[in-house]
Formats: sequence, C-alpha cells, structure tokens
Amino acid sequence: MKKFSSVLLIITVAFLCLWQLPWLYSFATAKKDKSPFVLYSPVIDDFTLSLYTDGMQHTDLSGNVYTQSELDSIHPFFYARQLLKDERFPDSVKGIPVTYKDSQNESFYYRINPKDINAPQIGVYQLMESMSSRVKLESPDDVFRFTKKSIEFIDAETNTLNSDKSARFTEMLSKSGFVFPANSLSGNPSVKKDYDEGYLVLDAENNLFHLKQTVGRPYVRKIDIPEGVKIKNIFITEFRNRKSLGFASDTENNFYVIENKTYDFHKIGIPEFIPEKNAMMIYGNMVDWTIKVSSVEKVVYYAVDANDYSLIKTYEEAEEETFSGKVSKFVTATSLRFTHPLDKYVYPRFGL
Amino acid sequence: MIKAIFYKEWIKTKWIFILSALALFGFASYLIFNVYRMIELKGAVHIWEVMIQRDVLFIDMIRFVPPVIGILFAITQFVPEMQRKCLKLTLHLPCDAQKIILSMVGYGAVMLLLLFSATLACFYVNLRIILVEQIANHIILSAVVWFLSGILAYLLTAWCVLEPTWKRRILNAVVSILLVKIFFYNVAGEAYNSFLPILLLYTAMASSFVFLSVSRFKEGKQD
Amino acid sequence: MENIIECRNLTHYYNKRKIYENLSFSVPKGRILGLLGKNGTGKTTSINILSGYLKPKEGECLIFGENIVDMRPELRAKIGLLIEGHVQYDFMNIEQIEKFYSRFYPNWKREAYYELMSRLKVAPKQKISRMSCGQRSQVALGLILAQDPELLILDDFSLGLDPGYRRLFVDYLKEYANSEDKTVFLTSHIIQDMERLIDDCIIMDYGKILTQLPVQHLLDNFRKVSCSLPERYKFEANSDFYNPAQIGNNFEVYTFLPENDIRSYFHNQQIPNDNFRTEILNLEDAFIGLTGKY
Repeated sequence: MKKFSSVLLIITVAFLCLWQLPWLYSFATAKKDKSPFVLYSPVIDDFTLSLYTDGMQHTDLSGNVYTQSELDSIHPFFYARQLLKDERFPDSVKGIPVTYKDSQNESFYYRINPKDINAPQIGVYQLMESMSSRVKLESPDDVFRFTKKSIEFIDAETNTLNSDKSARFTEMLSKSGFVFPANSLSGNPSVKKDYDEGYLVLDAENNLFHLKQTVGRPYVRKIDIPEGVKIKNIFITEFRNRKSLGFASDTENNFYVIENKTYDFHKIGIPEFIPEKNAMMIYGNMVDWTIKVSSVEKVVYYAVDANDYSLIKTYEEAEEETFSGKVSKFVTATSLRFTHPLDKYVYPRFGL
Repeated sequence: MIKAIFYKEWIKTKWIFILSALALFGFASYLIFNVYRMIELKGAVHIWEVMIQRDVLFIDMIRFVPPVIGILFAITQFVPEMQRKCLKLTLHLPCDAQKIILSMVGYGAVMLLLLFSATLACFYVNLRIILVEQIANHIILSAVVWFLSGILAYLLTAWCVLEPTWKRRILNAVVSILLVKIFFYNVAGEAYNSFLPILLLYTAMASSFVFLSVSRFKEGKQD
Repeated sequence: MENIIECRNLTHYYNKRKIYENLSFSVPKGRILGLLGKNGTGKTTSINILSGYLKPKEGECLIFGENIVDMRPELRAKIGLLIEGHVQYDFMNIEQIEKFYSRFYPNWKREAYYELMSRLKVAPKQKISRMSCGQRSQVALGLILAQDPELLILDDFSLGLDPGYRRLFVDYLKEYANSEDKTVFLTSHIIQDMERLIDDCIIMDYGKILTQLPVQHLLDNFRKVSCSLPERYKFEANSDFYNPAQIGNNFEVYTFLPENDIRSYFHNQQIPNDNFRTEILNLEDAFIGLTGKY
C-alpha cells in the first residue's frame, strides 16, 4: 500500500507541476493581445485594419492610412449612424441606391462560438409563439424535450406533461417524416428579437426540419438538403431582413446559408469552417459580409458578396515568429490544463 | 474489532457529524426555499427560463460547504490521534495496522458519503416537484462534483494531519489545495460529467495517502 | 534464561547527531528492567525503537523473537504499552475506553480495570481529558492490568505524578509483575522510584551502555570512597574507579572494588590520604557515581 501511495503521490505531484508551472509562466509573461479590428470596405474594395498603438491607427492592406472620419465614409453601413449624424450618409454605394433605413435593416452581426457548441446540454428548450397576438414576442409557459418516440411539452407552472400539445406536435412531426429523437437543434427563444422562426432540427437520421409554433399549432417543414451534403451543425439566424432562415455546416466543413421561405441552400464561398474548432463572426450589410474565422492557430478574414455569397477577398493575419512566442508555444503544448477556450467542459488535456 | 474502531471514531466525531448534518440541512432548506419563493414571486416560467438559457443553478451557494465539512471532519477525527501521539496507542492495537487505518478513514468517508448523498437526495426530491426532470438532473449532476470534493478534502486533510513533520505537512497541504481546486472550475453546469469517473477513481485512490503519513509516523520522522 | 527483548547493534542518529552506535542489550523473562540514563542519552529513543515508533539507522529489536514493526497481532496483544505522560484516548470516559479496548483482547480482565477505577473519585461519564494527571495514570495502568500482557513497556511512568500516585503506581506494578512472572521494561527520570521496583538496570551514558546488572548487585557492591587529599593532587584512576572528583581537599571516587582492595590500591599507589571512608549507596547516588554529576 505504501508503494502504491508513493507512486500515486509522485505522479500527482508531476501532474500538478505540469499544470501549475506553465500557468505561472504564462501568468508572468502575459502580454496584451493586439489584434486589429478588421472590416471589408465595399467602397475601397479592401480590408481596413484598426489597431490601437499610441492612438488609433486605421490602414488598409495597401498601407494607406485613414482618419476616423475617412474610415466612417468607407464603411457606410457599419458607421451609418455616425454618417447620418454628420449628414454624410451616401445616396448610393457601388452604384446601388441606398437609404439609411435599408442599411439598418440589412446589416447584422452574428457570431458562432465553439464554446456554445461544445457544451453540456440540459435537453429542454423553449418554443415561442411565432404569430403572437401581441406586438412583442412573449416567453412560452412551457418547455419541450425530445424522447425516443415523441416530442413532449411540459407546463412550467404545474410541472406536468401537456399531453394534448405533445401529441399534436408529435403527430405533425411524424407525418412530416421526422425520425425521433432529435440529433441537434438550434433556436433562439428570446423576446429581444423582431420575429421568431422557432427551431432548425436535425432528426435521428440527420434530416433537416424547420419547427415552429403558429397560433398554438405545429408548423413543421422538412428541408431538402442538396445531394451528397451531410449536415453537421445548424444555426438559426432571424436577421432583421428575413432573407435567411439559418446557417448550416456539413461534414466537409462547408458553410451554407438556408434561405427563408424557399429553404434553398447556398454555399458560402469560404474554404473551411469547423464549428467545433473555429469561432466565427460576421458583420453583414446589404453589399458584403466580413467573416472572421479564428482558430487557435490563426485568424482569417473573408469578404463575401451579400447576394451570391461568392468570395471577394481573403486576409490572413500574419503572426510574427518571435523567440518568446516559440517558448510560449512549447510551454502551451506541454502543459496540462483542465479547461479550454473552445469548450465548456472540465477534464485534463495537454496543449491547446 | 472494526466495530470497536468505528465506536472510537464515532465518539470523536459525533458532534461534527451532527453539526455538519445541521449545516447541510439548513443550507439545503434555505436554497430550496429560495427557489420555491422565486417561483412564487416571478413565476415558474421565468425561473425555468433563467435556468435553461443562462445556466443558473440556484444552489451553487452550497459549493464550498462540502469541502469545508470534509476538512473539519478530518480535523476532528485525526487531530486527537496526533495530540500527544495518541496514534501510537491505535497502532499498538493487536490488529493489522493497515486494516485499522483503512477502517478509520473508511469510517469518515462513509459518514460523509451518507451526509452528502442525503443532501443531494433532499435537493433532488424537492426540486423535482417544481422543475422538469432534465433541469433537476442538470442541477444535481452539476453539484455532484462539489460533494465529491468534500470527500477528497477529507482524505487529503487526514493525510496532512497524520503527517508527523510540519515541513512535509505544508507540502502536503499545497498539493491538497491544488487537487481540491480542480473541482471548482466554474465553467458551466455538468461541465465535469466526463471527468467525474476519473475524479471518483482518483478520490478512491487518494485514500491511500494516509498510509504514507502513518508509515512516516512509524519511522519516527520529526522536524 | 529466555530473553523476551533482544536489541542488537542499534545505531541511531537524529540528522547528524549521534545518539548511540552499536548498542545491544536484552531483557530476560520475568525481570523488571529499568533503563537509567541522563537526559539525552537515548532512553526515549530506545523505547521508541522498541515499541516500533522509530526506525533505527541500523540494527533491530526483537520482542518474543519478532520485530515489532511487522509483528503478528496475536503477539502484539501480549505487549502492554504505556506512553510517556500516561497518554490515553482522552476524548473517552472510563467506561467507553474499557469498552473499546476489551474488543481487542480476548483475555481482557474487566474486573482488574474496574477495581482500580473504583478507587478513583471520578464519575463514570467523566472524560479522561478532564481528569488529573494522577487519575489518568491510574486509567492507563488499569487498562494495562486488564490487558494482562506478558511484557510491559513503560516510558517514564513517573512523569507528572505526585509522590502518592507514584508510590501507588509502583506498588501495583511490582505486585503485578512479581505475582504473574511478567517482564517489564521501563524508564523513569525519578530514580528513587526505580529502586523499589526494578530487578535489573541498564545504565546509559552518551552513546553507549555503561553497565547492565542486577540492582541488588549495584546496591551491595558499588561504593563511594571519600578522603582528604593534598590540594591539586593528581589521582591516577584505573578502570575500576569511576568519576574521581576533588573540591579543595575533599576527594571522592566510586568503585565496585571491595573495601580491602581499595585500601591496598591506595597503599600501593602511595596516595597520601586522610579520613578514608567508604559508603554503600542508594540507587540514585550509585547512578550519579557511575555517570557523573555532569
């Protein structure tokens, strides 16, 4: 027993050192992360980089320097409010006539974080009423869950199963060809949005469905997936312009937009997006989208056409190879950690 | 003979056992009452929503209670053994020393297990009345790791207390603090699910650390 | 005669400080043996090694032919242990502690314990921690008597006891050891107590054993010689003489030699003495004579 505990203690201390010493090192050598804010400008057809080094500096990739006011005017959608205030909002961008209202309506910000995907799920969700009789959306008074054979709604006040509603929804789903249980689903049950599209649901056979509640009744629609595409992750969008229903990524790491109403799939022209490993941020406007895809190793910015989703331009943030950077990388690679920036789980792992 | 050991351990720990039971019961009652009251004030819909969307557990105030109880339990159980080297009497008993030590530590672990599982059961039964199964499960699974930390804290404190020298005792304490710290990452509910079996296994193995201290005691190690 | 305790070639250091080297002794069955030595000569070290709570750097101690560290429980049951200061589980009361120990010893003599306890003026539910040192010594003694061990190891049994309790302890112990042919190994810092109790003594000096012999032999044969010598006279002592000391004209020295032999030594060496006297000593004086005052 003594031998066993001695060995266990030695192993324990070794692991604790692998955990704590690199942490101490990175704590002592921590530097402020200096990442620029990058945005594609439809006016100059180039990315602009804004970085704070003794004062804000704005440049484009060719090295031209911009003042804040100049920057405002080359990003007419992003800085629309400022331009409106300065009475400088343009009549047209790239020959397309624009109004302030349109620009506001068409602009959106969207983010996908691996932390939200790689996270424990409680397994109950809220389905809102999409055609609320009220002006504002309201929180539903029940939650739903998928079982092996059905969808079940549980009333919160009484904590009891609403059999009628469950049966109605189950029947509708089954009729539409839904195979229970659900593999994954995406929805955004928040009252702070303009409208509700319910959920995108992947069933047990990875068929894609659109599920929402309209006047208490189920709305279910099976979405046709392009031939040969295997959907892995889905994201509901609910943007103000109502053009898209959601995004999807497939097993080949392609990224798609699912259009609203028509349920058409469009591949977005970025080479790769792995939702479990990459964080994505999209600044969209009526002309183009700036898509930032960051992984542990690198950050890449893509400019994509807002209408046909084709790739316009790519910018990859260059990383300087410094000695301390190399040391940090080595330390990170050999260190033991229990949490990770890409997920919400706690377990031991080495490196990033 | 093991019964006699349990008898001795019970005499030492009956007060801390009762106090721990009261503390856990009091805390649990307060937290459960709190959830009930909030449901009454703000409605079940709202509380469920907060739990689902913001991952609020409502009982995380009890987080540090189990390790504190574990530490206090070990102190009350093992400090009297080290006072004036009473442990010599225990080790002189005509019984296998390993068996004696194991039953002493086993006694404490079982008592804490009783207290902790009763608390978790109390939470589950009461929360299940007002919460859907999945949310209640989520809360309990999130809490399990805190209670497990209480058992580990107990075993490690026993290891520290039985250690005969102060120098080594401080090193043991540092190792113990770091080990218990692993149980308290506040990332998300159920974040520890896949790690729990390993933590459980490690906790079981960590009960062997006391043998290191006892063996050093028997060798007459001193500062 | 059968040896109950056998210690061979014990060597021990605390860090770099040597306690003793190559120490050997044995305790025969049925004898009460006292370990005498000044502070720091390694009495407690020996007791600790003997009772299994100190691992010597070298050498080993056998009790009933086995090393106590990995001794069979049945054999360990035959050893009674009194820890320095009469330590017992002081969170228990006298009933609880009896109940506890009785489970471990098949030959437990409950009456022996309660007979002793009945003389203590303590309530049955009174915790040991709230008893006086003397009362606690009786509890510890009572437990040992109930255990009825063949070998008793007592570490400084007189510590903290007033004369009455010391006497009581000694009397009980002597009665117990003599009537049942038990072996006792003990230390005490009060040598007077030992004189009434022990059969043999081991006298330790720094790093070694000076002598091991029956107490009676020591009391009968060890003498103090005192006389007057000229100031600054250099007394040539051979190995028969212990600790010669001279203050002014007064000279004293200790020896096992018979009186006649002492006289002839003084005569042969032509030592110019006056007022030549020899005295028989008690144990304490004999101890000082053997080990010196410093």
